[in-house]
Amino acid sequence: MTHPIMHQRPAHMTVDSHLRLSIAPRWIWALAALGAAGLLGGLLSGWLQGDDLAHFYHTYLATYSFFLSLALGALFFVLLQHVTHAGWSVSVRRLAEILAGTLPALAVLFLPIAAAVIGRSPVLYEWADPQAVQADELLLHKQPYLNAPFFALRTVIYFAVWVFLARYYLKRSLAQDDSQEPQLTLAMERASPLGLLLFAATVTFASFDWLMSLEPRWFSTIFGVYYFSGAVLGALAAMILMAVALQARGYLRDSIQTEHYHDLGKLLFAFVVFWGYIAFSQYLLMWYANLPEETVWYLPRIQGPWGVVSVALLLGHLLIPFLGLLPRTAKRRKPVLAFWAAWLLAIHWLDLYWLVMPSLDPGRIVFGLTDILCLVGQGCLMAAAAASLARGRSLLAVGDPRLGESLAFENL
Amino acid sequence: MPVSEEPLLPNTEPRDELAGVLAQFPNAATLVEAATAVREAGYRRWDCHSPFPVHGIDTAMGTRRTPLPWLVLGAGLGGAMVAMGLQWWTNAFDYPLLISGKPLFSLPANIPVAFELIVLFAGLTAFLGAIVLCGLPRWAHPLLRSRTFRRVTTDGMFISIDATDPKFDVQATPNMLSSLGAVSVELCHEPAHARTIPSLLVWAVVVAGLLALLPPLFIARARATKSDQPRVHLVPDMDFQPKYKPQTASGLWADGRAMRAPVEGTLALGDLQSDDHFWRGKQGDGWAAAFPVPVTDRLMARGRQQFNVFCTPCHGLTGMGDGMISQRALRRSDSAGWVPPLSLHVEEVRKQPAGQVFNTITNGARKMPGYGAQIAAEDRWAIVLYILALQRSQNATLEDVPEAVRPQLR
Amino acid sequence: MSTLDLRSADNTGNDPTRRAALVIGHHDYASVTQLVSQLAERSRTPLAWYVAFAVSAAWAGLFFLLIGYLVFTGVGVWGNNRPVGWAFDIVNFVFWVGIGHAGTLISAILFLFRQRWRTSINRAAEAMTVFAVICAAVYPGVHIGRAWLAYWLAPYPNQMQIWPNFRSPLLWDVFAVSTYFTLSLLFWYLGMIPDLATLRDRAQSRLKRFIYGVFALGWRGSARAWHVYETAYLLLAALATPLVLSVHSVVSFDFAVSVLPGWHTTIFPPYFVAGAIFSGFAMVVTLMVPARAWFGLKDLITLRHLENMNKVILATGCMVGYAYGIEFFIAWYGGNPYEQFAFLNRALGPYAWAYWIMVTCNVAVPQLLWMKSWRTTPWKMMIVAILVNVGMWFERFVIIVISLTRDFLPSNWGAYSPTWVDLGMFAGSFGLFFMLFLLFCRWLPMVAMAEVKTVLPHPEN
Repeated sequence: MTHPIMHQRPAHMTVDSHLRLSIAPRWIWALAALGAAGLLGGLLSGWLQGDDLAHFYHTYLATYSFFLSLALGALFFVLLQHVTHAGWSVSVRRLAEILAGTLPALAVLFLPIAAAVIGRSPVLYEWADPQAVQADELLLHKQPYLNAPFFALRTVIYFAVWVFLARYYLKRSLAQDDSQEPQLTLAMERASPLGLLLFAATVTFASFDWLMSLEPRWFSTIFGVYYFSGAVLGALAAMILMAVALQARGYLRDSIQTEHYHDLGKLLFAFVVFWGYIAFSQYLLMWYANLPEETVWYLPRIQGPWGVVSVALLLGHLLIPFLGLLPRTAKRRKPVLAFWAAWLLAIHWLDLYWLVMPSLDPGRIVFGLTDILCLVGQGCLMAAAAASLARGRSLLAVGDPRLGESLAFENL
Repeated sequence: MPVSEEPLLPNTEPRDELAGVLAQFPNAATLVEAATAVREAGYRRWDCHSPFPVHGIDTAMGTRRTPLPWLVLGAGLGGAMVAMGLQWWTNAFDYPLLISGKPLFSLPANIPVAFELIVLFAGLTAFLGAIVLCGLPRWAHPLLRSRTFRRVTTDGMFISIDATDPKFDVQATPNMLSSLGAVSVELCHEPAHARTIPSLLVWAVVVAGLLALLPPLFIARARATKSDQPRVHLVPDMDFQPKYKPQTASGLWADGRAMRAPVEGTLALGDLQSDDHFWRGKQGDGWAAAFPVPVTDRLMARGRQQFNVFCTPCHGLTGMGDGMISQRALRRSDSAGWVPPLSLHVEEVRKQPAGQVFNTITNGARKMPGYGAQIAAEDRWAIVLYILALQRSQNATLEDVPEAVRPQLR
Repeated sequence: MSTLDLRSADNTGNDPTRRAALVIGHHDYASVTQLVSQLAERSRTPLAWYVAFAVSAAWAGLFFLLIGYLVFTGVGVWGNNRPVGWAFDIVNFVFWVGIGHAGTLISAILFLFRQRWRTSINRAAEAMTVFAVICAAVYPGVHIGRAWLAYWLAPYPNQMQIWPNFRSPLLWDVFAVSTYFTLSLLFWYLGMIPDLATLRDRAQSRLKRFIYGVFALGWRGSARAWHVYETAYLLLAALATPLVLSVHSVVSFDFAVSVLPGWHTTIFPPYFVAGAIFSGFAMVVTLMVPARAWFGLKDLITLRHLENMNKVILATGCMVGYAYGIEFFIAWYGGNPYEQFAFLNRALGPYAWAYWIMVTCNVAVPQLLWMKSWRTTPWKMMIVAILVNVGMWFERFVIIVISLTRDFLPSNWGAYSPTWVDLGMFAGSFGLFFMLFLLFCRWLPMVAMAEVKTVLPHPEN
């Protein structure tokens, strides 16, 4: 409990070489080329599997929803900081803005999935095939919602909202670097509650459309919250890793301090618990009521090889990181926190893989070259998008009027 | 500020033992500086006092982090183990409780209680641990006798140094505190005799304590004595309900009875039982010899099963009259009044027609009670059939054995 | 950097270059102590307090009389019937437990989020929590019928050699609510120890000094004790935060583990928690707006505090609206005809009026709080807060009663209307709540003085 201090913005904080990301364009191009090659290799490898690209499409969707979740989680982080008028997070907020800034690139990466649906191919979504719909009473019932044109329209709306919000915040935040205009902060804060409402609605229905409708007979009202909880967790882990990696290369040495890592670690811990709470709520209610239309989704996921993954998620997504992040020192020591961030990022990917893949093959886990190439390909493309966005720009919101407060705060 | 011998507490008597020295500081910043100096001077038994936690005071005093978080973690883990053990032992082991087809030990359903007990144990430990680690409760403390010290909960910043500190010196220590910027320094004394409880309260507690003894005394008396009065209905517990019980009077009807007889000629469902042969084993005036139901293997098997359930306790597995109850009765010293059950193989029984055996099962004979209420009519016929088979088995001749297997009898 | 005009009563402006003062008026440590302590130290109780206390105590008395009538007669005095086996009893239970969530939320969650404006309102909100949970706990206690056998809920070795069923959410509720009450009480008391010591040190009479002294446990503001105290407070906050979430989640499990349409849906746990915070904050606003005026606490409980609470009400109101919408959408999307009927029956059936009161009060009315004048004008926010409380009561009524009147079997359908005992007990529980709160306002420190002293803009004038 400290006294409130009106913090002066430190005089030495101007956009200098310690803050501006310098990276040669050829490296970005190389990263993008590697990503494109990875995706093409994955496509080829998937085609060689001889299952009409079913595996490729599913693993592409799982990995896509993983990288999308990082950007969406980061967008939520930005909105949340503005809606609460937060001071502490100013020193790390730019990282989230950059992460959210990859949403236009992610919109492009969605095109293969959209193409499959518009082409009426049941490779991913059974309901995309008009003949299958006619044969199934339940799918026929859902047809007013689950049909290709409406799906495409909704997808356009989702990305329009996300890209608009991400650009709205990045643009104003970058403008503030030079102008140091407090009015920009006010504008961002005023837009944030509405932004959060739009975010909640779009993320919920996007998760329904893209993930829940993989098994179109199943439904869960909490599903949107489930995807959201993992997304924020992933984004926080990604931000911690970005901060550690950038500091290792000499950036942001003065601005991101132990206290900021401590706070990010606390939020990471909170979302580990929150994810566990949401996942448990969904599981308990379906387990207890034991209704066939609900257990049909869990049954393949808790039996056989996927059952092992479920246990791995329980341990690796909740219990182990819970105990690991519990001590104060785990959140204040950079290498330890980076380890847990990397761990949680990996397990968050596994969570989405577990969400998607059993609807293709409930009895087997086929993890191979296709999956790895999709992961590497999309990862490189997203990294390239982030790097090209950040290149030559400040990695710190130096113009934010609350930067001084952020640099001066201390945890209890 | 010089320390005079005079500014002792007005309410302290000189013969009280010296407890320590108390110095007031003007603000938090001075307090932190003074605390640093006191620590560097090598004092061990001393403390700072402030109306709120002062920023930086822990570093200045060199306070070590409290072990409370570890205690709380331990209590939380203990809570988890207690909860899991409790739920397993009670619902899966000591009294297995099968609920809606769930496993006896259902992990998902055990999580909520486990979580609550983790929080309960950890929370109680955090609270009680904090109280103990703060050195509380301590209602009588020398500092609490000082009038100046009363500002500590409003705006006063103090440093107190214990007289038991090895470096404590009744002259030098107050002087040092003065030189550190104290606005006032005073000596504190242990009370010679402590009695701060108002006498009104003492009396109130004594009276309340005595009154509290009364209910247990009344209960003890009630438990130790006998009474032929009806029990006291503290709560009615649905013992008195506005309804008629059997064999009670009612003014509603002319005959004054609460129970109503059924309308003349009423028959309850299944009470017709018009088939004399099937229901009573009779054909015309005599006992029926034939069976009213088809004689099949199934009937025989059913008869054996029902015989083994209902008849063997007395008649024995073979119908010899040597069932366990009879054997035990005969072993007892007071078995004089015991009438052993009849062997089913005596001539007297063997010559009875099937209908008569059926009647005996239904209504009993001598000491044997009737089983009509327990065993369905069809099952009674099945038992009769099985008894016939038993009788045949005990009285067979060589002619009853098929020619082909006779050589095996040797 | 400019300084704020500390005399201005409106500190709700948003200037990113500086933080608004959380305490207005030129207060220092001593004046904060004086302002708060004098309320508990007044030698003469104001007449208005006596009037308010008499009214609420009369209702509380009615509450206990009706409980006696219920216990000695049986639950038949209520309107509960078949199929509506749960009605006002459980509606009121969930309503009060929900209100009881705001105190611990303010104390624990806002503490963890370093929302320092909580310091002015946390004490009163925690007191409100404890009292609301007391009101809540009465209902399941008496609705079991034989209230004197309530101890059978506890797992203790008994002569029947049988144990409670730990797979029943109703037993989880026993554990959750009793744990929550215990921890809320401890949290409230731990926070109050330094302030009780203040009242002890300022007491003029020996009796007061003794009584406050006993409860202050001999607190001397020692720095070593403060260190332990702050750690314990942080730990309790960290424990109370998931506890708050768990309590209303477990309450939601009471319904959601069943298969009744309208009860069984996976979003229930977080949706109930959001609703609980929503109603709890509305109750805090309802209590604080008159309290800060009557007790002269406008400098400590400023418009900014009220505005922040209204923002939380708006946010949680949107979450509740989100849950309503998702429930409705999935009822259609899931394709289960029973579920679809249950939701259409809510909106168009015989109790549609209750449903539309709920939607209006919980979703439409809070939208007024988008306007700054509604967030910062006391009488306007009072209207919203009271309507939110009405709406949240009706939410529980809609979930419990409407779902029970129409289940799978049309021959088992029924209707419900409360009896005078139902209504009297509901009003009586408000009497008990306000009676306890008035006692708190009269004798205990209403504001956490020690904590407020840490957020004073210019403490050492």
